[in-house]
Amino acid sequence: MTDATLNDLPSPTRTSLAQRLKNPALLLVPAVVFLVLIYVFPLIDLFRVSMSGPTWSVYFERVFSVPLYWESLLRTMQIAFTVACLCVVLGYPTALLIHRTRGLTQILIATAVILPYFIAILIRTYAWMVLLGRNGPINKLLQTLGLIDGPIGLLFNRGSVLLGMTAVLLPLMVLTIYASVSRLDQGLTRAAMASGAGPLAVFWRVLLPLTLPGIGAGFLLVFVAGIGYFITPTLLGGPGDQMFAMHITQQADSITGEGFLQALAVVLLVITLIVVGVAGRIMGFEFIWGGGKTDTAAARRMPTPKTVTRGRRRGVGMVVADLLGWPILRIMGRLPAGWGRWTVRVMGGCVVATLVIPIIVVMIISFSKASYLTFPPPDWSMRWYEKFFSDSNWMSAFWNSLAIACLSAVIAVSLGATAAMGIVRSDIRYKSALMLLLVSPMIVPPVVLGLSLYSLFLNVGLTGTYLGLAAAHAIGGIPIVVVIVAASLQAVDRRLEQGAAVHGASPLTVFRTVTLPAIAPGLGAAIFFAFLHSFDELVLSLFLSSPRMKTLPLMLWADVNYQLNPVLAVVSTLEVLLVVGGIILARPVLARGRSA
Amino acid sequence: MQIPARREMRSELPDVQPVSTAPAQQAIGSSISIRNVVKKYGAFVAADRISLEIEPGEFITLLGPSGSGKTTLLNLLAGFQNIESGEIFVDGKSIQHVPTHRRGFGMVFQSYALFPNMTVAQNVGFPLRMARIDRITADRYVAETLEMMRLSDHAQKLPSQMSGGQQQRVAIARAIVMRPKVVLMDEPLSALDRRLRESIQIELRELHQTIGSTILFVTHDQSEALTMSDRIAVMDAGHIVQVARPIEIYRRPQSRFVASFVGESNLIDAEVIDRKGTVLTLRTPSGHVFEAASRDGDHDKRATVLVRPERIRIHDAATPLSMPATVISALFLGEVLRIEVRLDDGQTLLIRCSDTSEMTLPQVGQQLHIGWGATDGWVLS
Repeated sequence: MTDATLNDLPSPTRTSLAQRLKNPALLLVPAVVFLVLIYVFPLIDLFRVSMSGPTWSVYFERVFSVPLYWESLLRTMQIAFTVACLCVVLGYPTALLIHRTRGLTQILIATAVILPYFIAILIRTYAWMVLLGRNGPINKLLQTLGLIDGPIGLLFNRGSVLLGMTAVLLPLMVLTIYASVSRLDQGLTRAAMASGAGPLAVFWRVLLPLTLPGIGAGFLLVFVAGIGYFITPTLLGGPGDQMFAMHITQQADSITGEGFLQALAVVLLVITLIVVGVAGRIMGFEFIWGGGKTDTAAARRMPTPKTVTRGRRRGVGMVVADLLGWPILRIMGRLPAGWGRWTVRVMGGCVVATLVIPIIVVMIISFSKASYLTFPPPDWSMRWYEKFFSDSNWMSAFWNSLAIACLSAVIAVSLGATAAMGIVRSDIRYKSALMLLLVSPMIVPPVVLGLSLYSLFLNVGLTGTYLGLAAAHAIGGIPIVVVIVAASLQAVDRRLEQGAAVHGASPLTVFRTVTLPAIAPGLGAAIFFAFLHSFDELVLSLFLSSPRMKTLPLMLWADVNYQLNPVLAVVSTLEVLLVVGGIILARPVLARGRSA
Repeated sequence: MQIPARREMRSELPDVQPVSTAPAQQAIGSSISIRNVVKKYGAFVAADRISLEIEPGEFITLLGPSGSGKTTLLNLLAGFQNIESGEIFVDGKSIQHVPTHRRGFGMVFQSYALFPNMTVAQNVGFPLRMARIDRITADRYVAETLEMMRLSDHAQKLPSQMSGGQQQRVAIARAIVMRPKVVLMDEPLSALDRRLRESIQIELRELHQTIGSTILFVTHDQSEALTMSDRIAVMDAGHIVQVARPIEIYRRPQSRFVASFVGESNLIDAEVIDRKGTVLTLRTPSGHVFEAASRDGDHDKRATVLVRPERIRIHDAATPLSMPATVISALFLGEVLRIEVRLDDGQTLLIRCSDTSEMTLPQVGQQLHIGWGATDGWVLS
């Protein structure tokens, strides 16, 4: 200790002010202010307008009295539930397959799952339209095999909606389950086998119970996403498959429904919130972002009532497992030993194929010479690429999207990364509540968000501006950034920072020499995904853009609805290349996440 | 090793003379005074009004079970956490408002905390770089310190390319490269295997003699504490229960907790029947009489007596101050025999006697006569 450091101590008052300014909780302020202004207030306003009728409930009564709406509501829940179930059944073997393979195979399978996850939903839905179309490969294949005489209509029915939605949402499920499977201690499986449990018993008694929270989280995320879906069902569904969210977009086109429209959105939002709320009570709200608790070590020491109830629930589960599952498994146990392993391989393999094939087909079609969609292409050419790059409409949409995405990424990363610092490094109360606010845009149906922002943007003149769209996209970008950056910050060894500080590094130097290098990969990934989120965003843009300013997804949307031509395949191929490039850049982070 | 103190170089005041030209001398460590320090985590009191005076240049060990507050105390000293109430003075000056990076300490972590992206030389040179010491001087200091820790051949390696023992030596080198007046060590040897630990213990002890810093060493390993320390502060549940030299802690513990935490111990509850100066005569429940020393001769009616296993002697025949005992188990451990016996009132005692050529390993169930002298028993207060 030198005299210098002791003599120039600040006076007590200055210290308190300086210390207050150093409080990491202050880092949360910009993001929270931003979200409150552009996300919480519009949603509150949505509630206000929905109750602005002669009596507060008049619009809601209409929602529940007109069969068109409440039948559609029931149908929506039913479809979302079915899709979530399908995703669990198909996703679990796939997650196990990723976990059990090694080396190059594992990387390939993981990429096949992750890649579609980051490609725009619109493009993946378009791929399914190509695949299932009258001149698509499936019809062609069936005809070649002589199973059918002429092309059959595979599209625009309930089956294609379920197939499309399941395919689109599967990666989310696989990644969520994989996260919980990979966290399992390998020793547990070995211990179970050493205690005489066969592969099925290991699965039933050890693997399944321990990964149940992951399954639950995946199920809910898919279900909640399914409730608010409208891109995929609009494009793949027939007249009998009207989803609830579709009514909102359709009503929005005719301005007559002021009040009633908001009531529809509020119903959708409230249902989502109830589902998430109940799930959060049972398994903790961490399931939304798939992360660990943000609470400090002190809180972790004490057993909370939640864990107690969880213990009792597991007791019930055990009874069910003993009475029902176990006898069934005993019978299945008579099957040959390799059967379970092959189930995983075959099912996982099918899922991976289902995820990848549409994308590959679209990429091939982009080089087609034909002016309509047919597979395999009659001849090869680059004419659609030429058309894309020479068409001023497409190019201006491309530059618009690029500019908006860059601006949005800057907003989301600067606000989200500072907020993540604040969340991880401060000791404020209500930390979990703040984290919930920061990530909640993930679960609010985009249709509801778009509608709530619509009137706000009209009033302040942000409609159809770069800044307006970028800010709106940043609402969804912030959760992505917060989750990624918070995870990388939590992985930073505090001892390293302390080691630097104790040996003379000032807080800023500690951040520069220790913290920043450690979170740099995470920060890079966050920038990319925030960019991609905005670049792919369609639903908010539908509400908030003007006819004069089109983004790439908007152009795609218009074209998919009117003329299915190979230019769309070109755009899709370019998007895939963008995502592949991004994933290669982000690979260090993904690899680290996998090993952790 | 004759290296001038470097800590002063971080000073920005002109009146502090740079000492690089001063004659070779030992750096002298700081005195540390911890007064009534309190730290709570929620309802859990990690440090409960702890006071401790540490002499300049002393090697003091904080010894205690996990959760006793020793690491908390170290973190408060380093400034990683804020004190709730109380104060810490270093060389008579409060460090309450001095941020960690200006306290000028060295620290060794249990997990080493070496920067994975820097080479060994860069790791060791980190404190010098932070103090803005010029490159040439810094390089010299790094080379000297690496030489001292016998790491010169590894200067350009990354921490991940080294063994645990080597990494820990790098961490120690980083902590002492500035010749800080205070070095904090948080269980630095607990991740190493026994043999390596023992050799680094001796190295650390010699290092302390060389650099003269005040060293605060945290451990839960009592033999480590006994080997290395000038003094040991035994901690339990947020309190310091005894501070004394290792020999004092071992021979004259103040409480049951210290007696049983440090070393192996036999604790015998007995009734006091007589007193001669500081020596008490006591009687066990089954009526056997023995003697034991106490601090000042004051006593209650009943007392607990500590007899270390190596102080118990086995007699060939009964004597007035011996008692009969039955062998429960007998193990040959190399240099010692470890014998467990049961007295006729049911209490079991542990005996360690050194291996001699005439000694035979007793059989289980065999009857022995055991006893100890007046100076071998210690009455706990």
